[in-house]
Parts: sequence; C-alpha cells; structure tokens
Amino acid sequence: MTNQRVVDPSLFAPDHPDCLAGARCGECGTVVFPAQDGCPRCSHRPMQAHVLASSGVVWTWTRQQFAPKPPYRPASGPWTPKAIGYVDLGDVLVEGWLLPADRDWVIDDAVRVTVVPAWTEESGDVHTFAFEHVEGAQS
Amino acid sequence: MSGRSENVYVVGVGMTRFGRHDDVADLDLASASVRDALGDAGIAWSDVDVAAGGTNGETKPDNLPTYLGLTGLPFVTVRNGCATGGVAMLTAANALRTGAGDIAVAVGYDNHARGAFNSSPARYGIADWYGETGMMVTTQYFAMKARRYLHDYGISEQTLGRVSAKAFANAADNPLAWRRDPLTVDQVMTADMVNPPLTRYMFCAPDAGAVALVLARGDRAFDLCDSPVRLAAISLRGRRFGSFEVFSPWLIPGDHLSPTVDAAASAFAMAGLAPSDVQVAQLQDTDSGAEIIHMAETGLFAHGDQEKLLSEGATEVDGTLPVNTDGGLLANGEPVGASGLRQVHEIVRQLQGRALGRQVPNGPRVGFTHVYGAPGISACSVLVRD
Repeated sequence: MTNQRVVDPSLFAPDHPDCLAGARCGECGTVVFPAQDGCPRCSHRPMQAHVLASSGVVWTWTRQQFAPKPPYRPASGPWTPKAIGYVDLGDVLVEGWLLPADRDWVIDDAVRVTVVPAWTEESGDVHTFAFEHVEGAQS
Repeated sequence: MSGRSENVYVVGVGMTRFGRHDDVADLDLASASVRDALGDAGIAWSDVDVAAGGTNGETKPDNLPTYLGLTGLPFVTVRNGCATGGVAMLTAANALRTGAGDIAVAVGYDNHARGAFNSSPARYGIADWYGETGMMVTTQYFAMKARRYLHDYGISEQTLGRVSAKAFANAADNPLAWRRDPLTVDQVMTADMVNPPLTRYMFCAPDAGAVALVLARGDRAFDLCDSPVRLAAISLRGRRFGSFEVFSPWLIPGDHLSPTVDAAASAFAMAGLAPSDVQVAQLQDTDSGAEIIHMAETGLFAHGDQEKLLSEGATEVDGTLPVNTDGGLLANGEPVGASGLRQVHEIVRQLQGRALGRQVPNGPRVGFTHVYGAPGISACSVLVRD
C-alpha cells in the first residue's frame, strides 16, 4: 500500500493498491484472508498469493454502538458508532468496516476496498482497509 | 439401551443461584453446588468414586476435594469454553462406563467479573491487527450471524424480541435465575441497541454460578433415586471447514456448516431417538438469534419455521416443544463453566416433575441439551426418564 503506514503490510497486495492480499490453494481452490501457509480445507501447502477482488457486496452487517475494549486502538477524538460487515468478494467473504458508518446498510449493497486511518501515533496515522459504499452500482 | 447395568443415570442435581457472587470465592461457589447435588442424591462425598470439573477462570477444579474431603478420588479437570460443563459430564460418564466406579460427580463453575470475555487475538492464532482495529468483539459476530440468518429464512426482528420475552417470562418463576423481571416484546425491541438487530435484552451477560450432577451406574442409580434420568447420549463435536464462527476475518462463500448439526445428529443416533421424540429442550441462547438458529440446527424444528413457531408460542412452557424453560442464558447469564450443566439440571428436574420454576405439563420423558461456543464446538445430550 505505497507509502502509507498500515496496520499489517501482509494484508495488502503489493502491486494492486486497491486490493487485499489473500492466498489460494492450488489443490482445492480455497481462498483465504489473510494469507496463510497451509490450506484449512485440504491441508495442502504452501498456498499461493492471491489478489482479492477490489469490489463486492455486503453479505451481512451490524453497527458497533460502543467503543471496543483493548486491544482495540481508538482514533483520536470521541467515539462514534461504526458499521461493520462481511463483504462477498466472489471467492471469499472478508470482514471489515463499512463506510459511511451511519448509512442504513442493506444486504447486497455494493462496496469497494478503500484505505483509511485507523489510529494516530506520534509518527503519523496508521491505516487499515475498509469497504466504502459505491453509489448506483449493481450487485 | 435396555440393560440397566451398562447405563449411566443422573441421580442428583445441585446448583447455586446464578447472578452476581462478587464476595464468594470460586471454589466455595463450586463446592456449594456439589454439596447441594450430594444432598439431592442422598449420598456423602466419600461415596463418590470419580469426579470431573471445569471452569473458564483461574482456579483449579481439582483442588475442590480440599473443600469437600480429601478422599483420594481421581479428579479430572476439563477446560473447553462454553462446552466445559458438557465435557465434564461426558468425562464423568465415560469414567463410570469404563469401570472407574459406580458414582461420579460432574461440576462446572465460574465467577466472571462484569463485562468479562475480553479476548486476545493471539490466543486464537489471529494477528494483532484484527483486535487493534476493533473486530475482536463477540457481540458483532452474534449480530451479523443473526442478521444473515433472518435474511436467508425471511424471519422478522420481532421474532428476536419474542425469544427474549419468553426467556424472562420463564425466569420470573425460577428462584435461581438472575434476570427475573418480565419484559414485553416491545420493551425488548426498544431497549438500547448493542449491535443491531440485537438490543441489550437480546444478549446474555457473563455472571457467576455453579452446577453439579451426581451420576451413577446401573442398578446403583435405582437404589439411590426413585426416578433416575438416563444419560441416553452425549456427543461433543468440533467445527469442520466452512463453519461461521466468532473471530473469523474471512468466511467461505456459500453454505456454512455448524458443529451443532454434527453434535445433535450424533447424539440422536447414539440415543436411538429422533428430534421428534424430544419433549423439552435447552438450547444455547447466547443471544436471541442463536436460539432461533439452534432451534433448526439441532433438528428439533425446520429452518424458516421459527417466525410462526414463536408467534404461536410453540416453544413456551405449555407449547408443543418448550425451549429454555428456566430462562436460558438470556435470563441466567453465562458463567461459562457452569452453563452447560445448568441446562442438564433443568432438564433432569423437568423430567422428574420437580422443576424449580415453570413445570412442563403432561410428564415429559425425553429431554435434550445443546451448548455451542468458541472456537466452534458443540455438545449435545439426550436425557430420558424410562
């Protein structure tokens, strides 16, 4: 993810700034996120690096009304509720924050991957991935 | 199933009140439940041949004999999260079946602080970013699982409210339950939202409590108890690939399997009975969505029928198949180690016609219990009064 500091560089596909990095099993085709070495379905290893789709649809969601306890690292400023969901990226469902947080989300809403500040350290913002609503897109 | 001598029976049950026990030491709480169960069975601790017990807390269950009597008996400690009680019962029953003795005790307890259940990613083998970005939150999982299930089977959020209202109505008459104030469906639905579609009254909370069972083998059970309840089956299963569990950064597309399905099917096969034989059931209701899901995953009801069943009162105490007659986790809270044995305690009393709260009418003879928890385990039992 170019020059931004991120929560974990292994989550992001090096050559695809808008995509998450998963892994695919060469034996059974299972796709996982984040990448891992052995396949949880058939035990085959190693799995191969696999770039996930940059857009998908909301599979389910909820809203986090209160600030989570540690190890959560809050952003500076007062807590505001956030929306979270699983997004169907085609070959895998990925859990992540949904933007905008106050949208009345509906299953099958279209979203795309984005990168947003998660918390701030002395050296600057640390970023994570999220899924932002795409206006007018068809699922 | 017929030969008494090979069978294991519940001949005594004991339980503390569930709720807050801030001033009581964990092992005192646990030993109180064991003494209660021993009294119910009419035996002394020195009559017990083998014991198994568990907690999710920091104390050592195998130090309980210090409180009850250092008789030299073997005491097996188990620790399996929400399935701890079930595994304690399984361990005690198997010890009797393999000839370790005639009488066993199974005990489970916990004394959680308010708002316990903080989870560390590392314990689950998950990288730090997952917790640091706020995804290591159990209530999010329950809410997202419930929403998708309601969507897939066309069930309204009103049904979530009905589950909780039923739980609190049942608990109102149960002297050992924690939350005993009845609430209307509307009060449940309009309460503070924790994670939509689930309000605060649709979640159980960590609390304190202890439960113990006395198990006996064969004819000894009938010497000790007028109406022993046969442990017809108990089955513990782990998740298979593709289940939808808490703390999952990703899921597979398509259908999600559940260890509940495997554990329930295995328990019914072992018992030689069908879900349609069950007359009273205890299901894991960590949240009201979980009860709806587990109604079907256990095979007791069909997927998608829950809306109609709840609106007709089918799972109320006088319904066609009463579920969580003691108020379940929603009204009793969840002392993790004790919760599964509380379910058995309630079923045994219902089958013996001596429920502490609301008694299921017409003398039920077949009961069922189900626990489910992280990281994807389920234990089910079938209990029969022959």
